[in-house]
Amino acid sequence: MTASKTAFDPASAAARGLALCHFCAQVQPVAHAHCARCHAALHLRKPHSLQRTLALTLGAMLLYLPANLLPVLNVESSVKGNQQNTILSGVIQFWQDGDYPVALIIFTASIVIPIAKIISILILCRAAQTGRRPSAMTRLHRITDFVGRWSMVDVFVVAILVGVVQLGTVMTVTPGGGAFAFAAVVILTMLAAHSFDPRLIWDAAARRLNTASHRNRPDGAA
Amino acid sequence: MDSAPILPSPTLACHDCDALYTAPAVAEGEKIICARCGARLFARWPNALQRATALVCASAWFFVLANIFPFLSLQAEYRESGMVLGGTVSGLEEHGFPLLGALVGVFMLGAPTLIIGGLLYVLVPLFHHRRLPGAGRLYRAILEARRWNMVEVYLLGVLVSLLKLGKLATLSLGTSFWAFVGLIVCLTAALSAIDHRELWSKMEGASR
Repeated sequence: MTASKTAFDPASAAARGLALCHFCAQVQPVAHAHCARCHAALHLRKPHSLQRTLALTLGAMLLYLPANLLPVLNVESSVKGNQQNTILSGVIQFWQDGDYPVALIIFTASIVIPIAKIISILILCRAAQTGRRPSAMTRLHRITDFVGRWSMVDVFVVAILVGVVQLGTVMTVTPGGGAFAFAAVVILTMLAAHSFDPRLIWDAAARRLNTASHRNRPDGAA
Repeated sequence: MDSAPILPSPTLACHDCDALYTAPAVAEGEKIICARCGARLFARWPNALQRATALVCASAWFFVLANIFPFLSLQAEYRESGMVLGGTVSGLEEHGFPLLGALVGVFMLGAPTLIIGGLLYVLVPLFHHRRLPGAGRLYRAILEARRWNMVEVYLLGVLVSLLKLGKLATLSLGTSFWAFVGLIVCLTAALSAIDHRELWSKMEGASR
């Protein structure tokens, strides 16, 4: 077995020393260092993709705790008294009020998507080493990248409520620290999904096929 | 623009799996899908440049309207408070979260401003086969800004807020809200009409 750790998928542009410009999609020799058309730096793969992705995901995981434990919204109302809402208590409140669709939207955007994103990024990082099921993993990356921004909805709700509710003595609404931590979680997972390079999965898949074909070669066959 | 098939570039590589292809000629209305992983490599809309420019102009107009008229107003117990679009940002800043306010501002005001203004700067001169200074660098910034443009997510936030407050107070939507909806429709359509491979090749062909 001779496949080295840095070997590229033989069917890929990188195996021929060709880099795809990240900005203008021009294919050109990586030896040029900068894109001839748009002057962006050329790389065969996103630099330090896995390290960067894992570091950002770790940051998101750490901030996930304060994002869910701290209140995102403080409501001081002369009618209903003071209330501190965390993300989960907000969802529960919507559910108890009978607003099931809103409860589901917030539950999906603020709880399901961030967790699913963190898990799928970890799965993708693993897949970039094992090379299993590259098509499915590429699709998972595409979904993860697309869906992340929708988690920001809760932060916008807080911002809108703070902006619109200025009713003096009747009600005051102020943002809580949880909103900040949650926004950071969303941004970090978005950056993590973006720094992951799905082409690494195909490189790993090619290495896997390569070792498998070496192993299956009948040694003593005439 | 001419409807003759154009070559996006001599070779195509998939951005998701790096499969290498020799580029086929792409006629208007056609798209190329990666045979291995299904990623969309190239899509050419009929009259893409005109379509995109018209939609960007409409977005710019809606964006101006969305910023000058009241966005939401709220009535409770003979009191009324209104909010303009920028109030989403200033409210957070007033209550001690300037960084969060700035982030929200980037997502719903800054990114769309850069995208709309930048696209006008890049697209309009192309009709005269010209390319203004810095157009290439600006277009790269637009491609980066697209991910942080969250106007549609903001709209969902508005709808959720309406339901959240609906029981406490009467909320009414201002002119700016409808302009914002128009902005989302036009900007989304404009961005999907532009294929960046095609745009780069047009910019390459334009004189400076």
